[in-house]
Amino acid sequence: MSFEPLSRRKFLRGMLATSAVTIGLPPLEALMNSTGTAYASGSAFPKRFGLFYWGNGVHPDLWIPNGRGSDWELSHQLTPFANVKDKLSVITGMEVKLPNLIAHSSGPCGFLSGGPLAGSNRDGDDDFPIFELPSIDRIIADQIGNDTRFRSVEIAIEPGAKGLSYNSPESLNPPEADPRLMFERLFGAGFRAPGDDPIIDPKLALRRSVLDAVLGDANKLRLRLGANDKARLDQHLTGIRELELRIARIESDPPNLAACVRPDQPTTPPMVDGRHNMRERSRIMSDLMVMAYACDLTRVVNYTYSDLLSNNLYPEASAGHHQLTHDEPGDMPQVQAITYSIMEDFAYYLEAMKAIPEGDGTLLDNCVILGTTDVSYARTHQIDEYPILVAGSGGGFFQTGIHYRSETKENASHIPFSLLRGLGIQVASYGKDEGYVTKGLAEIEA
Amino acid sequence: MNRVHVVTFLAFMMAGLTACQDESGDSAAPFALTDMAESDSYSSVMAGAANLRRLTQAQFSNSLSTVFGPELVVPDLAEPDMSIGGLLSVGASTTTVTPRGVESLEAVAYQVAEQAVSNDAIRTRFMTCSPTGVSDAACMREAIETLGLRLWRRALTEEEVNALVSIGTTSAATLEDFNEGLTFPIAGLIQSPNFMYRAELGDGGEFTDTELAGRLSYFLWNTGPDDELLAAASKGELSTRGGLFAQANRLLDSPNARDGMRNFFSEQLKLYELDHYQKDPQVFEHFTSSLGEDAKEETLKLLEYIVFDDDSDYREIMSTTKTFINRQLAALYDVPAPSAEGFAYADLKDYSPRAGILGHAAFLGLHSHAVSSSATLRGKAVRNILLCQLIPAPPVNVDTSIPEPSGTTNTLRERVAEHLTDPSCAGCHRLTDPIGLGLENFDGIGRWRDYDNGEIIDPSGDLDGDEFFTPYELGVAIRNHRQFVPCIVRTLSRYATGRIETNEERAWLDTLVERFEGHKYRFRALALEVVMSPFFRKAGATEEAEQ
Repeated sequence: MSFEPLSRRKFLRGMLATSAVTIGLPPLEALMNSTGTAYASGSAFPKRFGLFYWGNGVHPDLWIPNGRGSDWELSHQLTPFANVKDKLSVITGMEVKLPNLIAHSSGPCGFLSGGPLAGSNRDGDDDFPIFELPSIDRIIADQIGNDTRFRSVEIAIEPGAKGLSYNSPESLNPPEADPRLMFERLFGAGFRAPGDDPIIDPKLALRRSVLDAVLGDANKLRLRLGANDKARLDQHLTGIRELELRIARIESDPPNLAACVRPDQPTTPPMVDGRHNMRERSRIMSDLMVMAYACDLTRVVNYTYSDLLSNNLYPEASAGHHQLTHDEPGDMPQVQAITYSIMEDFAYYLEAMKAIPEGDGTLLDNCVILGTTDVSYARTHQIDEYPILVAGSGGGFFQTGIHYRSETKENASHIPFSLLRGLGIQVASYGKDEGYVTKGLAEIEA
Repeated sequence: MNRVHVVTFLAFMMAGLTACQDESGDSAAPFALTDMAESDSYSSVMAGAANLRRLTQAQFSNSLSTVFGPELVVPDLAEPDMSIGGLLSVGASTTTVTPRGVESLEAVAYQVAEQAVSNDAIRTRFMTCSPTGVSDAACMREAIETLGLRLWRRALTEEEVNALVSIGTTSAATLEDFNEGLTFPIAGLIQSPNFMYRAELGDGGEFTDTELAGRLSYFLWNTGPDDELLAAASKGELSTRGGLFAQANRLLDSPNARDGMRNFFSEQLKLYELDHYQKDPQVFEHFTSSLGEDAKEETLKLLEYIVFDDDSDYREIMSTTKTFINRQLAALYDVPAPSAEGFAYADLKDYSPRAGILGHAAFLGLHSHAVSSSATLRGKAVRNILLCQLIPAPPVNVDTSIPEPSGTTNTLRERVAEHLTDPSCAGCHRLTDPIGLGLENFDGIGRWRDYDNGEIIDPSGDLDGDEFFTPYELGVAIRNHRQFVPCIVRTLSRYATGRIETNEERAWLDTLVERFEGHKYRFRALALEVVMSPFFRKAGATEEAEQ
């Protein structure tokens, strides 16, 4: 991998710091750690979080591995993870404890927010779930997302997918499904590779002064509003303050991470036979996300492969995914093939993270990626036996390479609680009602 | 003309019109103020809480086009709408702008501002002065005041103008360019919550003139008010019955009203979902990549025709054989194609058993699977969308698979029979499947077929006791259903107010239903009645949070 770790300015600074370095000597050593892959400052690599989410569950019989603890074998549907098995923990037998009121909605809402569906949403008038509590990725992003250009990045592989990243019932973070637009946002104007100079542009300060005026307008409007509308506007204001910070970061030095390079601009894969090219889309997006982590553009990536209840037509499938989960006869070979193919794409993403060296380990070691879905077995909409994968050790906090099986249908909320702790976020509890827990799952922690 | 004069003048004019209308029967004569319900026709209950309405994606881009003109290329805003109570417009009273949306809004604001200052045609719409220097504050002020009024739908306060002028002159001085400097206050106007939200909060229980201008314009045009409407508001005309009625009529006479009502029907019938239309081309040989778009256009063109060109009985949408098709849809429907590219009027009665929107590719395709039709989805859509009935979500613990076609079960009717006999399914499926089975002659993208897996299709059934034997008769049964008319009245009222009516306000809906009937179900009259009703004019106290 080629890298260009230092800016001219830094390089010169380095020259001064090491004084009288001659051109013939390797000039960079003084600024790097022994492997040449860490921050110039020597500070620890940041911990990152990711969610990988897909619709329509798994085949529990083909999912649950044989064996326990560190002595286990990949099940059929987990075979694609062979190259990252030692970085992966499989957690089975956990149950989402909130009532399973709306198929495909109650599960992810109960797991990812720990709470119930919003009141307005329980009567089934609208098809898409609305969470009462913020989703886990938001709790995490609010804590660990404050030092990067993007507090979090939301992507979707299935075009039109809405994702499940809820700031509040009023505020669902929209994912970007177009790889070309995603590239523009991350690596277009405003991106600087390590070694690039900070951008000096008087317009940045002017943009901030405009945002200050907008905040002023909003505060005046706020005074006239009832409490509900105030809360909505406050969400908006949070976004404006975040944008001000983001603009300020463009003016500061880019983080000096050796593995960071600007990727090539991708093209968006065209449809084939009336079907989205999910594999190509996923691999392009995965490469972009890995570089977004490696460049420290963000520390939270919300990866929606497909939406809950997704009826996406996969290549060679004879019907939409969700329809197949109900109508395909026998062992459901097509549904199996789709799940397998999604796991292959998930495994590609994890392998790409593993390929990025960071310090003595890899990017994946400094991440913790939660993989999950909307039901256990889609045909029956179960939310016990909830499919949960945790990849990466979060900088050593989590055990990896294990299969933990709950024999007592433990509350699935223990996993998000552990994730919060693993990322250094101190909370007393996670979730609400039946989803409420006050501890994590010790067995997956190191 | 002062208020009293306006009212007198209108009353005089309308008396004449009413006379004409009486002679010409139910022709499409304009409505008179005297045709509209008086305030005391409505039960005197409290109005539901006034709310802060975010612009929908469509309103956002339409508003910018209205202000800056057709030359403006409006970039997409990455802030999706959410459907609540069946409408994006109701969702917009609940949602906010996400951090991603804020980022996108800023980018869009500068792209618009840069076009505005660099395109002569656009710039002259809001700026008549020529800057005398880099920091010509007077000229900057003119541009900001003019644009501010149009973007924020109200005049800016002196303080607001000063703040933006200061940003503009500072920016111009820094960048040494007047136009470049002006982009910053313009971007500020667009990013402001005063543009992005409609703060129609009322004053003393009534919406103010300024608020009514925005309500009227977004309801009927789905965009911000034009200068004439803003002027009427500033003269206090909209808070009078006659003034409001006159402006509502003016707006409905404008071609913009067609765009506005197309948006309503797109929300009501969820036609926007056709933007992500996915069907298996290996199963449906008549599927084309433009089918979603074509299908949407057909339905909207028919509705536009019934509401505006024909001004006829709205209920016709369920039974008319008239429609608008292009060559692709003609091929799908197996009817003679228009002689030219694009959409043309067609009456299918001699060519096809297809009638009403239930025979449109839009309805049939949207409420089907990617590879097949669906009796349940179609039936559910009729109940939810056309009759405003709620179908509970299926219980989570049942195996919902239906048998594959076999020697004994070939048609979908035979395959879903279990839905209707198994007691755990039948409760809901009896409400949906018999309706959908009435449409089984149309496949998953809306092509006619007589057979399903080799067996003749039997489309007969009954809708809450009303028997039908053909898809056409199903359409008529829906048209005659006691909840069909109340449903469109309720949906349009929710669309106008951006909220779900309170229990007390349902009495107002009953009055509107009666009025609609009195107007022989002409949709334009219903839109006017909604404007003149307390739904549109009365502002309830803003709601406080429960916590």
